Amino acid sequence: MSKLTVGRRNLLKAGAASLFLAGVPIAGFTKDKLLGSISVIILEGGMDGLAAIPPIGDADLMRMRQAISPASYLPLNDFFGLHPSLQFYAQLMARGQASAVHATAFPYTKRSHFEGQNMIEGGGLSPFSEKTGWLGRALELAGVAGRSLSLDMPLILRGHRDNDNFYPASIRGSGRPPADLVEMIAMGHQMDAAQMFTKVARKSEERVQVPRDPASLAAYAGRVMAQTDGPVASVIRVGGFDTHANQVEEGDTDAGQLARQLSVVDDVIAGYRRGLGKAWDDAIILTLTEFGRTVAVNGTLGTDHGYGSVGLLAGGALPSSRVVTNWPGLSKKDQFERRDLLATIDYRSVCAACLEKALGLDHDLIASQIFHQPDLPRVFEHLFA
Amino acid sequence: MNEQFRITQRIGLMFRYDQDLPQDMEAWVQSQLQAPSPALGIPHAYAKVAQWPDELQPNLAKRAYMWRRYRALKKQEREGKNGQDTEAARQANRRNHLMREKDEHKFVQRNVYGADQVKLRLTAFWANHFTIGNTFDTGNMIGHAIDKGILAKLNGSFAEMLYGITTHPGMLTYLDNVWSAGERSEHAKGCHRRPNCHAGLNDNLGRELLELHTVSPAAGYSEDDIRGAANVLAGWGVDFQEELPGMRKKIGGMNHWKAYKKRWAEPGTKKVMGQLIHAGRGGLRQLTDFLASHEHTINYISTKLCQHFVSDNPSKDQIESVKSAWRQGDGDLPTIHTQVFKLAIAAPEAKFLWPMTWLFQVVRLSGATYFKGWEDIDNYNNQLMSSKKVLKELGQSFWSLRQPNGYSDDRVDWMSAEMFERRIRFADAIHKNGNTRRSASEIMHRIGAAKQTRNLVASVGNSPRDQFIALMCSPELMGLEYV
Repeated sequence: MSKLTVGRRNLLKAGAASLFLAGVPIAGFTKDKLLGSISVIILEGGMDGLAAIPPIGDADLMRMRQAISPASYLPLNDFFGLHPSLQFYAQLMARGQASAVHATAFPYTKRSHFEGQNMIEGGGLSPFSEKTGWLGRALELAGVAGRSLSLDMPLILRGHRDNDNFYPASIRGSGRPPADLVEMIAMGHQMDAAQMFTKVARKSEERVQVPRDPASLAAYAGRVMAQTDGPVASVIRVGGFDTHANQVEEGDTDAGQLARQLSVVDDVIAGYRRGLGKAWDDAIILTLTEFGRTVAVNGTLGTDHGYGSVGLLAGGALPSSRVVTNWPGLSKKDQFERRDLLATIDYRSVCAACLEKALGLDHDLIASQIFHQPDLPRVFEHLFA
Repeated sequence: MNEQFRITQRIGLMFRYDQDLPQDMEAWVQSQLQAPSPALGIPHAYAKVAQWPDELQPNLAKRAYMWRRYRALKKQEREGKNGQDTEAARQANRRNHLMREKDEHKFVQRNVYGADQVKLRLTAFWANHFTIGNTFDTGNMIGHAIDKGILAKLNGSFAEMLYGITTHPGMLTYLDNVWSAGERSEHAKGCHRRPNCHAGLNDNLGRELLELHTVSPAAGYSEDDIRGAANVLAGWGVDFQEELPGMRKKIGGMNHWKAYKKRWAEPGTKKVMGQLIHAGRGGLRQLTDFLASHEHTINYISTKLCQHFVSDNPSKDQIESVKSAWRQGDGDLPTIHTQVFKLAIAAPEAKFLWPMTWLFQVVRLSGATYFKGWEDIDNYNNQLMSSKKVLKELGQSFWSLRQPNGYSDDRVDWMSAEMFERRIRFADAIHKNGNTRRSASEIMHRIGAAKQTRNLVASVGNSPRDQFIALMCSPELMGLEYV
């Protein structure tokens, strides 16, 4: 873990800027600040950041992974390119409404999906240490609700009782259950189960038909977040990033499993943009993944579990487009444990900055109460100044 | 609930609406562990319960043939050849060569009609422990793995089941092992001399074998151990699409199960968690046997069994008792299961039921015909959905694409408004379209429903439909606490 802090030098400086707030009793949620919104796209499986935003200016990239680096990348600057699947995201980049943070990760280096996913959703100091999620705890502090676009309630949103989920049913022979029946059933249940049925009763008043593909769900999420009193946070999961095999197609590095999944992410971001309408101006969307992948290509045109990856950010709340990084290099000696991209930026700091921007929560409060890491560096200026 | 239903809710699927109830439940549980397991179902609505026909239960060789055929016709479809690009041809190809919907339907039917309910619950536990997700190319294999790799192995040892499922083509394909080659294997060496040839190790299965199937991260193994396991596994499995001559050449035989490609294997001795593993085909059995009897495996899986059947938060004593049964029986599964059931039956607190378990119990209790017959799989029915669709809507199917850690045993992971809405809507749909043979009050009488349940059902009024929904979504039937 010591390696992680080496690269944090520049960020620690940024962190110091917020130290003067540390003595304030409890800044918490300030009602006078306008609420934005925060949406998280969870990329399950461990997204290959080196393929999504390839560091084309790093000579080691082509030496180590020519077989899987997208040939038709879109150049972002002298050093970074963008995967050709991220077309809409590229347009946002051009308009100053998208950024990326590279060589970043949650401080988890053991390469297990399930520990890693628990870390990035729970936001705890070790796997399985949290029963609630970092976004849920933030919403609890801010006193506002969020919604997940999934059948289940993901860990990341747990922790605030008004949080809800949405995933329309399609069951032959059943209509929306009558609210009074469901309320009677709720009364027969205890605590959390009663709460769930109460939410079902509330839902049965709504009449919405939404296709269940991620992009349509994102557009729906955007629409409800744009409403007065709508949720201020949403979560969407996109799976399929565990690209051990056939990450690219034989003979076409722009196609394959990763290209398909990145297109889904691109569509989700476009869906949010469509749904949010004017509320886009105050919106921030960020991706989250449990780890990056090995620098080297494995024997099956894929990559195995690694460490550092990339975070994609989008939304009108961003002041300009940047690729924020403290690039560690790709040569063997620069790799984490001689195999992975090193993470030099703690992604929890990025999440914290987005929470600060969207919910108006104070950084020190976020660091201590949400991530239980009082000295978490503040990177707000790097993204939002 | 009376003894018969309390116990079968916990460790079985409840007695069907017309089944005679045993008086000696202890003896019944023991007899269930040895129960024969024919796949029971119905050929069409209102037909008598019968065994699934053999032609709908093909062996692996047949399944592989169907898969090859399916891909070949898909290719013709893309190329617009031989009339394969018509809708009728597309449908025929799916119907004739894909097993997923048939297997999933068989699984559902046997859970609804089966007389081996305890074994079916155990099958669900172990099929979940050894998750094989549907990555499309595994679609023809998952059902076979569940029937032959799990259900058929319930009366042997854990070591036997572990080796069997690790070498099943479904697992070897799902976790990419069929394409993995040792770095120093003959295949990799030959390949590296050719341009654009990719060959090498893929550690996916090696990692999950340690993390999910046996010792768990608590064992503190290293990346080197994972690599060691992947090296032991290199060479195991053959692509389901492989044509027969190629297959014969690669594995020296025709059996997809336990297929071993010598030229892909990593030479030399390997080391996994301090254990030296010999080179060659026997190495994997040596590894899985080592892992199967490892203390961390015993602890991890004993805890998981308790969480599934006994309590979300089993006590240390409860877990210890399963661990000692495991050690005493040397990993004999019936010995382990017997101890787990003893705890489950004695457990005072409610245990939340998985959505699919609950659904099967609702259908069995009510005598509904909520699923089509096997002869009607491909016929649209405007009242009854396919088994595939039902399980998908419910959010729990062994044929879904999901992560290799499977479905959670912790109730908090199933607590969401949408999940609960599904329970209400399925209860509604089963009552409306399933032609239930028993009403809410008849079911309450038969199972000896608790006073709180009767009160809840009474509170929703006189509509048989509302009563049915209220009963099935009551805390008692869902495995939750009463008010």
